[in-house]
Amino acid sequence: MEILEFMFIPFIACILLISINVYFGIHVLKREIIFIDIALAQIAALGGVIAEVIHQSNENSLAGHGHEGQPWFTFTFSFIFCALAALVFSLLKNKKIKIPLEALIGIAYAVATTAAVIILDKSAGGDVHIHDMLTGAILWVGWHEVTILAIVISLVGAFHFIFRKKFFKLTDNYHKADTGVKNKGLWDFLFYFSFGLVIVQAVSVGGILTVFAFLIIPASISSLYANHWSSRIFIGLGVGAVVTILGLYFSWQLDVPSSPVIILFLGVVLMLSLIFKKIFRKQISDN
Amino acid sequence: MLDNLIFLSAPIAGSILLAGILGYFGNHILSRGIIFIDIAVAQIAALGTMIGLLLGFAEDSVSVEISSYVFTLIVISFFALTKFQKQKISQEAIIGIIYCLGLGLALLLVEKIPGGSNYITKTITGNILWVTWKQVIYCALLFALIGIIHIYFRKQFKGISDSNRNGSLPFSIQKTRMFELVFYITFGIVIVKAVPIAGIFLVFILLVAPTAAITLFTSNWKKRFIGSWVIGVVGSVLGIYISYVFNISNGPAIVCLLGISVFILAFVKLFRKQTLKS
Repeated sequence: MEILEFMFIPFIACILLISINVYFGIHVLKREIIFIDIALAQIAALGGVIAEVIHQSNENSLAGHGHEGQPWFTFTFSFIFCALAALVFSLLKNKKIKIPLEALIGIAYAVATTAAVIILDKSAGGDVHIHDMLTGAILWVGWHEVTILAIVISLVGAFHFIFRKKFFKLTDNYHKADTGVKNKGLWDFLFYFSFGLVIVQAVSVGGILTVFAFLIIPASISSLYANHWSSRIFIGLGVGAVVTILGLYFSWQLDVPSSPVIILFLGVVLMLSLIFKKIFRKQISDN
Repeated sequence: MLDNLIFLSAPIAGSILLAGILGYFGNHILSRGIIFIDIAVAQIAALGTMIGLLLGFAEDSVSVEISSYVFTLIVISFFALTKFQKQKISQEAIIGIIYCLGLGLALLLVEKIPGGSNYITKTITGNILWVTWKQVIYCALLFALIGIIHIYFRKQFKGISDSNRNGSLPFSIQKTRMFELVFYITFGIVIVKAVPIAGIFLVFILLVAPTAAITLFTSNWKKRFIGSWVIGVVGSVLGIYISYVFNISNGPAIVCLLGISVFILAFVKLFRKQTLKS
């Protein structure tokens, strides 16, 4: 039962990630801003990089100071950048801006990544940083990270649960001129900001790619079978949980990295459900 | 200064060339709302390269390039042909899923290839500074050929891109599918060629930023083409100049310059209209 011991924390982390990502994934799919999480993660990372550089240059000027990490300083910067991005995205969703928000999200992603590259070029070890951010290492996550993740997710989750009607309405009417929500800009800002908080924590645990997969694939699968928010969330969560167990088990058996395996399994389930749906629908129309 | 000009002449020619072809495709991509298609295509091309290497072909050989093209064309044809089925999952979501699965597979294969993680970082960064005249001329010929195909089919492609907004297809489904296949295959070839030279981010920004900037102000196709070419070329040349003066890498300099300009223009547009109203 070595596997249970080893896989327990990663399993809990995956379930936490899936539970919140399925919910946000439905929002993101409905709004057609698929790549928002990659952009927010990268913008927050840029904040972290800038904080590190400022910290380093301060340390150089105060020579002889101890080399202790400054997680709160870095965190504050990521936090501020995340809020700024949320503000910009909620402002730019406007009738006067005639280009899809996804285009601006993409541009923000490209700028944030390359700006980090320019800054890291001046310091050292840039390549490694980018690669690490992409993959993450869910197998090596400890209780400490999982606890923080759980706290952030439950806070944001509670906030979204209390105001669920507003958020559902906002997203369901996202492409219409009148959303039927008062203070639309403010709620839009709160949506992006709370989403950003979750993404920053989630990416530091699971890596960009895993979080991205959890965000869009389960929500896509659920859209094939249901329309209601609650049933979509349950379908996505169920599929995600089963796939995670299978993925962790196989990655253990075959000794391969776990996140790619989970992602590929999710992809396979999506393909199967697409095919299943096609055959099923044909049978109905034949009858 | 003259030495620098000679040194920089190939990168400048290369980026003007890329700005030209990508500025054109960008207008179609933006009208269709499939912003991230090039990142997905580039990822699949990289996966194809890695599988070619795994099959034992030598690095930089023709066989590896063919393997990369084969993978890209299969995936992009699949994408073009499934487009007109009634589907609940949006195209951009399918693009995201393709990207995800491509990268996931690449990460699994990376460990089997010596020095494999290089390929993942290489696709991300690229380096237009080291482009040679031979590459530039080869690309120019290839892009000219693709340009001719697109001039020939210009009305059909425009019609299909516009139909994304008004909802009605201008041709029968079979015809549309054929045109779509031509469109996406030529696009795939351009991306497979451009990404190793310039890197994913420069290609992405040259594709999306100039057309996003001009589409803020006009929806006329002709004005959008000309505007995005001007913005793309000016941005690339200026970016290379800035990178030379401040001694930073060119690709990132161009990306930041063009990207930030789009946001400034978007805010100008947002607030100018508001002050006019009040």
